[in-house]
Amino acid sequence: MTDIAEQEVIDIGDLDVEAFNEFATEQGWSDGMPLYVPTEEKVAKFVERVRGDNRPFPPVPPRQIVPTLQSLAANAVMAGCKPEYFPAVTAAMRGVLDPEYNLHGTLATTHSCAPMVMISGPVRKELDINCGSNCFGQGWRANATIGRALGLMLLNIAGAKPGEMDRSTQGNPAKFTFCFGENEEENPWQPYHVQRGFAPTDSVVTVMSGEGPHNLNDHGSTSGIGLLTTFAGGMANPGANTIYGKGPMFIVIGPEHAATLKRDGFTIESIREELWTRSRVHVSRISEENQETYVSTGHKPDGEWFSIGRSPQDIHITVAGGPGKHSAFIPSFGGTTVASVRIAP
Amino acid sequence: MRIVNPTFGLAAAAGPTVALKPINWATDAIALISNSKPNARELLEGVKAKLGAFRNVDNIEFHAKNSASQAAPKELIQAVAGKYRAALLALGD
Repeated sequence: MTDIAEQEVIDIGDLDVEAFNEFATEQGWSDGMPLYVPTEEKVAKFVERVRGDNRPFPPVPPRQIVPTLQSLAANAVMAGCKPEYFPAVTAAMRGVLDPEYNLHGTLATTHSCAPMVMISGPVRKELDINCGSNCFGQGWRANATIGRALGLMLLNIAGAKPGEMDRSTQGNPAKFTFCFGENEEENPWQPYHVQRGFAPTDSVVTVMSGEGPHNLNDHGSTSGIGLLTTFAGGMANPGANTIYGKGPMFIVIGPEHAATLKRDGFTIESIREELWTRSRVHVSRISEENQETYVSTGHKPDGEWFSIGRSPQDIHITVAGGPGKHSAFIPSFGGTTVASVRIAP
Repeated sequence: MRIVNPTFGLAAAAGPTVALKPINWATDAIALISNSKPNARELLEGVKAKLGAFRNVDNIEFHAKNSASQAAPKELIQAVAGKYRAALLALGD
């Protein structure tokens, strides 16, 4: 008898949804939340959406198997996606398979990182992706299920089972789902995907192995430089992986903060430079033991200061959210990259 | 009811296989490789000291990945494969 793990299609008999969920949990397919049933018919509707994108997928680490469109789609169905979301989900999967993303390391680490998914371009409106108020939170099917679908793929295709291959010490709620849209309409600078060289009319998925959003609250500052003082203070975090792992990070600026920065003449480049200089961490805030560890692994301070990245270009800037005086800092795993992938039309 | 298996995948093409030769732990060159996590070096120093109780340790040498969070670079792997008959790795945290 063939093991069901070796079969692409499985006959599970006459199970209702509840019984299917018990079966799926026994198989280790679940993230703990209820799943839709990935019937052949539903999966076929999803696969039909990406028939024009024939690029093969590479082996997926750590498990090193080559997924089929059907097995990827089964995870998107189980997550609760609509078929039209599937091209965005497969683009996100291609992003985490960028060798520089370091999928094996980001899944097996004790760090809490989760795959952050940001969506830019016209598809945000077509799929009703939340880019405004509560964009990191609940309430939007597209945000909730696209991020969840990627998480299920990493569990079931990559093999990142918690406590086994996924060795995260504490995990992170963002491992359930972490997907938001860029608020291009209130971004006074270039949209993020255009900063990365894509056309404004392209729809792009950007992924980074990140922590959850760290809030940057500033109701008092009425100047751009005041806001950047607050942002840099929030970024200067001796407990962030990036302080020794060195790697990218996102500053997701709320629209009201963005308007103030733009009014005061700040550009993406000048924000990066200002934050790079001001977010360094003084050696007095880092234990002597940790300093020894950092230095012994090649991360030397600049005088009495440790930088939180390798250069200003490690600080990625975008705008998302709704009314209010809040922005967010999202540090990464460290040994990873920010990968942007155009969604195949 | 027929469903699609969400864990299904095809086996990746296998790479070339290398025939392993026996290792003489009493004399052969050994690489001690740290994953660059704290105390990995100390652990390997303990291993070297234990080996020193019954063999010459002049050809037992330390190496380290340049990042704890990334895979060892190919150059390091090739250098170790070319110079040593065995490698002992300090893994985990």
